[in-house]
Amino acid sequence: WLFRSHFLSNHRVSASSAGRSEPTRIPSSMDADNSTTDASQLGIAGEYGHYVLQSQDEGEEGMNDHDDSGIKENFREQDIYLPIANVARIMKNAVPTTGKIAKDAKECVQECVSEFISFITSEASERCHQEKRKTINGEDILFAMSTLGFDMYVEPLKLYLQKFRETLKGEKGMPGVTLGDGVGDELADESFTPLPAGIITADGQQQNVMVYTTSYQQ
Amino acid sequence: MKMSQNSSDKDDQSPGNKKGISLPISRVRLIMKSSPDVSSINQEALFLTTKATELFVQHLAVTSFNNGSGKETNSLSYSDLANTAEETETFHFLTDILPKKILARDYLQSLEEMKEEDADF
Repeated sequence: WLFRSHFLSNHRVSASSAGRSEPTRIPSSMDADNSTTDASQLGIAGEYGHYVLQSQDEGEEGMNDHDDSGIKENFREQDIYLPIANVARIMKNAVPTTGKIAKDAKECVQECVSEFISFITSEASERCHQEKRKTINGEDILFAMSTLGFDMYVEPLKLYLQKFRETLKGEKGMPGVTLGDGVGDELADESFTPLPAGIITADGQQQNVMVYTTSYQQ
Repeated sequence: MKMSQNSSDKDDQSPGNKKGISLPISRVRLIMKSSPDVSSINQEALFLTTKATELFVQHLAVTSFNNGSGKETNSLSYSDLANTAEETETFHFLTDILPKKILARDYLQSLEEMKEEDADF
């Protein structure tokens, strides 16, 4: 069994994560000192198996009982990761070409990613609530980044956002598209194909944008 | 309507997607929604978060690689990541999910030492 802390700011430790093999377990006499609160948990084990602490949280409810919306039904909270192939690819492209990446490093970044997303989201959400709004918007996200020490991402993100808006703007007449303030009049030029894979399946096929926007208007 | 992007979630190979996103947006959204009190997320926020996540992965990978033993060994290991989380302020929030691995006996030993220290007070 492997215990992980996840989505640190908001969630408690939940039970084992499927798919991570974890044979080693240290007897519960260790727990006497495991007085840290919800967060800090175990080392990543699997093939290492060196250092694993068992968390004593009988008091914690299982991850499936979270009082969230119904999205949990198919996923356990700590299992919500981005696909490792995608993550690994980004890592690979970031490090020098001949560099290697250990498998547990990839898995671990996968988890860090989920943590990062939650970290940003809860900060953005808080700001949103403070301003009595219900929908998290782009500004909330950018603000959260800045607050949490990722201000180095903000400028590049603004550029991407601008391009994104321009692309949407080319879809005049699409209902339900939220554009934010209007940006630029020129449409995307030919060197620019920024549309997320999730939106468009084929280059130039823009009708799928409708699907995307509709589905996110919940 | 069907979320057609599910089928193309893992696919960033589409030829036009040079400057696009290589992470599945729907999954990002799922993770975001799992935060408490999040009711809805607008499209831009989702896009920004997804993009930021890419930047984050790159940032974390490069920083860990450069700071750690990576430069000599030309590889990135778990402990590079754990060290980076501890040493780099930006990544401090990861320290709890990136504990350094130690041998159980070393841990037990340091426990002993801690108890002795406490006893001195």
